[in-house]
Amino acid sequence: MKYISTDNLFKLLNALKRDYNVYVPVKKGEQRFYKKYDEPSGDIRLGEVRTFEPLKAFFSRAREVVAKGFEPDTPFAQDKPLAIVGVKMCDLKGMKVLDHVFLDHDYKDPFYIKNREENLIISSDCTFAIETCFCLAMGVKPYPEKDFDINLSETTGGFIAETASPKGEALVKKHQRFFQAATAQHRKKRESRRNEVVKQVEENIKKNNVPYQDAFKGIIERNFESDIWNEEAKACVECGACNTICPTCHCFLLYDRKDEKKMERLRIWDSCMIKDFARVAGGANPRKKLWMRLRNRFEKKFDFFPKVADIYACTGCGRCISACPAKIDIRKVLRKLVDNV
Amino acid sequence: MCKIDNPYRPIETEVLDVIKETLNIKTLCLKPKEPMTFVAGQFIELTVPGVGEAPFTPSSNPLTKDIMEVTIMKVGKVTEKIHELKKGDTVGLRGPLGRGYPIEVFKDREILVVGGGCGLAPLRSLMYELFNRSGEFKKVFYRGGCKTPKDFLYRKEIEKWSERKDLNLRLTVDKKDKDDTDWKENVGVVTTIMDGIDMDFKNGIAVVCGPPIAMKYATMKLLNMGFRDENIYLSMEKNMSCGIGKCGHCRIGTYYACKDGPVFTYDKIKNFHGIWD
Repeated sequence: MKYISTDNLFKLLNALKRDYNVYVPVKKGEQRFYKKYDEPSGDIRLGEVRTFEPLKAFFSRAREVVAKGFEPDTPFAQDKPLAIVGVKMCDLKGMKVLDHVFLDHDYKDPFYIKNREENLIISSDCTFAIETCFCLAMGVKPYPEKDFDINLSETTGGFIAETASPKGEALVKKHQRFFQAATAQHRKKRESRRNEVVKQVEENIKKNNVPYQDAFKGIIERNFESDIWNEEAKACVECGACNTICPTCHCFLLYDRKDEKKMERLRIWDSCMIKDFARVAGGANPRKKLWMRLRNRFEKKFDFFPKVADIYACTGCGRCISACPAKIDIRKVLRKLVDNV
Repeated sequence: MCKIDNPYRPIETEVLDVIKETLNIKTLCLKPKEPMTFVAGQFIELTVPGVGEAPFTPSSNPLTKDIMEVTIMKVGKVTEKIHELKKGDTVGLRGPLGRGYPIEVFKDREILVVGGGCGLAPLRSLMYELFNRSGEFKKVFYRGGCKTPKDFLYRKEIEKWSERKDLNLRLTVDKKDKDDTDWKENVGVVTTIMDGIDMDFKNGIAVVCGPPIAMKYATMKLLNMGFRDENIYLSMEKNMSCGIGKCGHCRIGTYYACKDGPVFTYDKIKNFHGIWD
């Protein structure tokens, strides 16, 4: 276990800029957003909580060209790989779901593979929870223990740095001048910090009466014909914000456009809450009603993914709760589903 | 730019011919610049450059390697443009995608093929395959239906099939107009010509392709006749877009129609809600 002082960490980020486009969370208003790192600045927040935007945006871009006419070459857009710093554990779990979709499947996605192979993830512990956090209910801790290249845990004067991949190890080795051994003091500080955040999330869960995922088995099948969907969908305005903001939602739309006589195929994030999502050209639509689409969203997360990939496709990040203009609250929906026996 | 296989890239394809089948159905004869062979029941994504792509199941003989025929009804944005295509135009093809009919499983079995409307297109490809391998199957029954005689896809060709010794064929239309005097076959929905078939239903294979409502009633009928769930092959029409199980549009329960189908046996999907919607 290594220690890196805050000064040295910024030196490391400066050094990383040579091979990577480095992204760090910065605070704007009440939220944190990823911003391309240039030099140390006061708005950078390496600890705190998850950013506004989900990590998936760096791996399956919101809008990208996937084919240029009939050209055989794959049109990769990224000039340099990305180093994404300050990633939280909820987003790392989101990548597990995306990995299943884009990597571990019968068919692989060249764009995702390339980003996944080349991008660097420097994650960090949450140093506090916000009201919408319920990661522990989804089996996610507010601090990363795996699935990162390097993880940073805030401690006195700097960070404890751990590695969990050959890429991370090689990087620490290459820049070992920035690191020193972590002391018992550092670890103790990390321990108490972690416990404190766990306590905050647990309080959140208790206060909001959020069910734990152990209680999720069969909640969709059992409630398939329930009125819950209709009740919850009443306020929905079909904006799709819950989909775009979700770290596990992966659906996309392919569309073609003509650009100076050349055809380009783009893919953009899509939303299963939109009416025509599953409609076929002949007019048939398996999910005509809004409540069916809301049910579908939950079915995908809490029935489909556990069945095909042994994972609930929710990370407890709470983004959809803050994003929903209709105030549809996934915690409350889950509570209703669990309680309706 | 780096060279790895890009599943989203269409292959440049020449339109060799356009055949008008009915008022709103055309068949395109396509020649992709890179070889593309398929199994009956698999589908392709056809790109109209700059407009978009849509999924279709080829209707030609899988043995014909360099030319593929696709029969297309005008129903939406992309198909409207497809209907404007002319000989010599360039389109794109991706595929073949998904799983087709497992012909090996059909060997030495009795087979009942039931089709309706545009569903006769993919089934033509299957019938060619069955004819290619004539003798490998015990008996083949074909029951095809369309709305009216004027809508009957490949009518002349299919009527010729009735001369084949390796096929038992009956056709029907939902209704006929006064001027359809040359229609001598049955009038009624497709299930009305599914009676009196001399085969061992319990061990027989049934293949159904058509509009959802026809598939639903045909499947119910087949179950009543004694066909086993796992022997009923359904071709599911969903909104297949990426074709490789990623974009999420064509999910049926725990499957994606594009990669796990579009051909499913009934037992695989019967417990999912709304499969006929």
